[in-house]
Amino acid sequence: MKNEITLQTRREFLRTTVLGSSLSWTVPAFLADTFAALQNQVADSAVQTATGKDATILVVLQMAGGNDGLNTVVPFSNDFYRNARPRIGLAADTVLKLNSEIGFHGAMTGFKNLYDSGNLAVVQGVGYPNPNRSHFRSTEIWQTASDSDKIEKYGWLGRYFDNACAGAEPTAGVVIGRQLPESFFAKTPKGICFDNPQNYRFLSPEHTRPGQTDMAEATYEKLNETEPAATDSNSGDSIGSLAAGMPMQGGKAVDFIERTAMDAQLSSDEVRGIAARIQNQATYPNSAFANSLKLVAKLIGGGLPTRIYYVSQGGYDTHTNQIATQQRLLADLGDSLKAFMDDLKAQGNMQRVLVMTFSEFGRRVAENASGGTDHGAAAPIFIAGDKVKAGLLGRYPSLAPQDLFQGDIKFNVDFRSVYAGILENWLKTKSAPILGRQFEPLQVT
Amino acid sequence: MLNLLPKGGWNDQTAAHLLNRAGFGGPPEEIARLTSLGHDAALSSLLDYEKIPNSTPAPAWAVPDQGRAERIRDMQNMAPEAKRQAQQAEQRAQNEHIIELRGWWLNRMARGPRPFQEKMVLFWHGHFATSFEKVRNAYYMWRQNEIFRRLATDNWLRLLIEAGRDPAMLIWLDQAQSRKEHPNENYAREVMELFSLGEGHYTEKDVTEGARALTGWSLDRRTEAFVERPLFHDNGDKTFLGLTGNLAGEDMMAQIVRQPQAAVFITGKLWNFFAGQPPTDDLNKALAGVFRANGNNFKPFLRVMFGCEEFYSPSIIRNQVKSPVQWLVGTARMLQCDLPPGFISAAITRSLGQDLFAPPNVKGWDGGISWITTNTLLERYNNAATLVQGTTQQLSASDFARKPGGAGGVVQEKAAQRIHIGGVDVEKILTPDERTDKNKLVAALEHRLLQSTFSSQQDQALREFLDSHPALDDAAIRNAIRLVMSTPEYQVT
Repeated sequence: MKNEITLQTRREFLRTTVLGSSLSWTVPAFLADTFAALQNQVADSAVQTATGKDATILVVLQMAGGNDGLNTVVPFSNDFYRNARPRIGLAADTVLKLNSEIGFHGAMTGFKNLYDSGNLAVVQGVGYPNPNRSHFRSTEIWQTASDSDKIEKYGWLGRYFDNACAGAEPTAGVVIGRQLPESFFAKTPKGICFDNPQNYRFLSPEHTRPGQTDMAEATYEKLNETEPAATDSNSGDSIGSLAAGMPMQGGKAVDFIERTAMDAQLSSDEVRGIAARIQNQATYPNSAFANSLKLVAKLIGGGLPTRIYYVSQGGYDTHTNQIATQQRLLADLGDSLKAFMDDLKAQGNMQRVLVMTFSEFGRRVAENASGGTDHGAAAPIFIAGDKVKAGLLGRYPSLAPQDLFQGDIKFNVDFRSVYAGILENWLKTKSAPILGRQFEPLQVT
Repeated sequence: MLNLLPKGGWNDQTAAHLLNRAGFGGPPEEIARLTSLGHDAALSSLLDYEKIPNSTPAPAWAVPDQGRAERIRDMQNMAPEAKRQAQQAEQRAQNEHIIELRGWWLNRMARGPRPFQEKMVLFWHGHFATSFEKVRNAYYMWRQNEIFRRLATDNWLRLLIEAGRDPAMLIWLDQAQSRKEHPNENYAREVMELFSLGEGHYTEKDVTEGARALTGWSLDRRTEAFVERPLFHDNGDKTFLGLTGNLAGEDMMAQIVRQPQAAVFITGKLWNFFAGQPPTDDLNKALAGVFRANGNNFKPFLRVMFGCEEFYSPSIIRNQVKSPVQWLVGTARMLQCDLPPGFISAAITRSLGQDLFAPPNVKGWDGGISWITTNTLLERYNNAATLVQGTTQQLSASDFARKPGGAGGVVQEKAAQRIHIGGVDVEKILTPDERTDKNKLVAALEHRLLQSTFSSQQDQALREFLDSHPALDDAAIRNAIRLVMSTPEYQVT
């Protein structure tokens, strides 16, 4: 065995060669070892700025279902608002006032806290031209940063990885959950995905003594190694390309699975190690969503070379009984986010992290007959962090009937301007190649 | 296009492909039986399932609960603590029923005599994706499942009408609460966007007009059944997809089905589900033509689809990612073993990303390579151990913890009892020769589980593993089976 490179090195070597050159892995072990080391150096220097351990981090927080922006950042003194919402309109004395006209929903004490300490920006009236009121289509538009009449294959974060993180570790993107969101779809898919670090591994049935090889695990690793020779003929765009809305586009399904298997092997030890080693340093609410942020805080604290974290909270599709549902969700959101920022502060990492929320649309200005609201258009989004340009950005959209379109709020800020600002000023990369054209970057940091 | 597969094209590989896709796969004997039947008779044996007796009883609780509405109304007058307890008890019963229902259905797929019918039910469940998470009534979910079973290969218009009047759907997309003063647009929109036409084939005006036409379709919570409420119905003229008049729900569905796009949409979706990739425009057009020529009836259309040579092309065979349900049920069928108890089987498919009766949203599951992430892939590998070796250790605590107080709570209590699950019966599926000769063993496993072969490198790794277990006892063989299942190749069909 002594001339063979260790499994760990060999796996990493295989991965780099699969992604990089087509070097056959039948070269003598010592040569391969040298090559792998070189390859790693090259990879390191190429990605240092992108994934170095002091690099900036973006946490994308999806509020799925279409959050009612009007009852989130509430225009409590606005007559149009009160008239449109006789049953579910929020009264002035229940909101957390930001000025004489608007205030946060009463459940958002966490947000108010961050706002007062200068760590939260509210971007008002965010949307896009010709808004679509379908959950799926509008989510897709936000995820792919497309125009509303164009279908884009890849997600905006996927295009960020393709453009700015070539050669980076698969852990450059981390999704807490079971499914990759469409925003991660990429020419070269990047990103790992898990919700429970303890089970994020191959569990072997064999009982081995320390130092003894676990044959089941060793065999699993060999069975899941991609053979570079086998993928040569397929190299190019089509291997495992994850295209928006399409289950498969060209290529073989098994090629995509092979690559995922490799990413899983490589990231499993690292993630589990950090999750076990790092402790949270703030008190979070007891919710599934809070657990996601707890995990992200640990991974940041443990130095995972990640640029993008993705978490989501669902349930905002409040066609009926909106009051109770939104109260619960916004309290969970605000309290969890506040705890997360406290945690990062205690770690000394707060200045590296920016959190951006989004929801596929806001809701209709007028309430419906079921104590809820139907699908609408523009809504506010939130950006939190130490370096954020805190306060109210943009202006509150007019609710005057003549200023609405089919009963919906018109947008003031294109969401892609927010993306552009974050890409250019926070992630330090050109936004036009990622967003398809140049949008005016909104100065959020 | 859509020519019948030539006679010479029918062999073990194409027979296995048909069984995998139109059903959930099976052991080598079953594939051999289909091969010897010939293509036409093989198709009949799967598609003409009405001829196969099926006497699976419904769950005992699957009847309308006429006292439920009253009980829930009475709760409103209770003291807060008593009210909370009564509501919890009510919900707890529902949660237990839905878990039982998941096991009930998975068993029909894994053991039942009509795999194709159940595959179609699975298709319709993903198509008219409705979730217990909002419906909160297991009887309604069972009832919808039975509609899909009864109309599995029936008529498009009939299915659209019955799916729209189904209580679970009436709650899921808020139609039950829609009335002429404030028509709720949710169902009107989704029925066109996701169920019948697709984005871009209707206008916003069609949505609002359709919502008006649908007013009056409602739910009687006392009888737990559909009811037409004339008082809720908007009797004014509407213009929907070009048709004007005092339209009602049935008129709206009929006008949808009249659109040529309705046939293109549903046949494209069926092709994608069964073939594993979207059809080309030309193919989709041809498929839609066959469907319309057969009066928008699914059975004759599907017979053409499963008969045509395009369905057996090399880019289709073994190029579909198994859905979690296909993975679980197919494994039980291929390894000729029972599914784990219902609540564990349900937890397995959920941990792999497919929670039956709880799709992520009304669009259903994306499917294809979106089933595969680093997380779900490792879960597949570890759940393979649960099935094959008979252990419960891989059921992740997070699956149970995910919904505190919800359906998960029930599972957690049961899991805490550590119910043991039996492993694969090695002697049943392997001959004495195969259990002693390593070469024969590897060949038998590849044949049974992949219907294909590994790369030479993988072959070698598997042999080395077996070499390290010279006794080649049942435990070692089960280990080897689990390892074959812990490969990218096993995740496709």
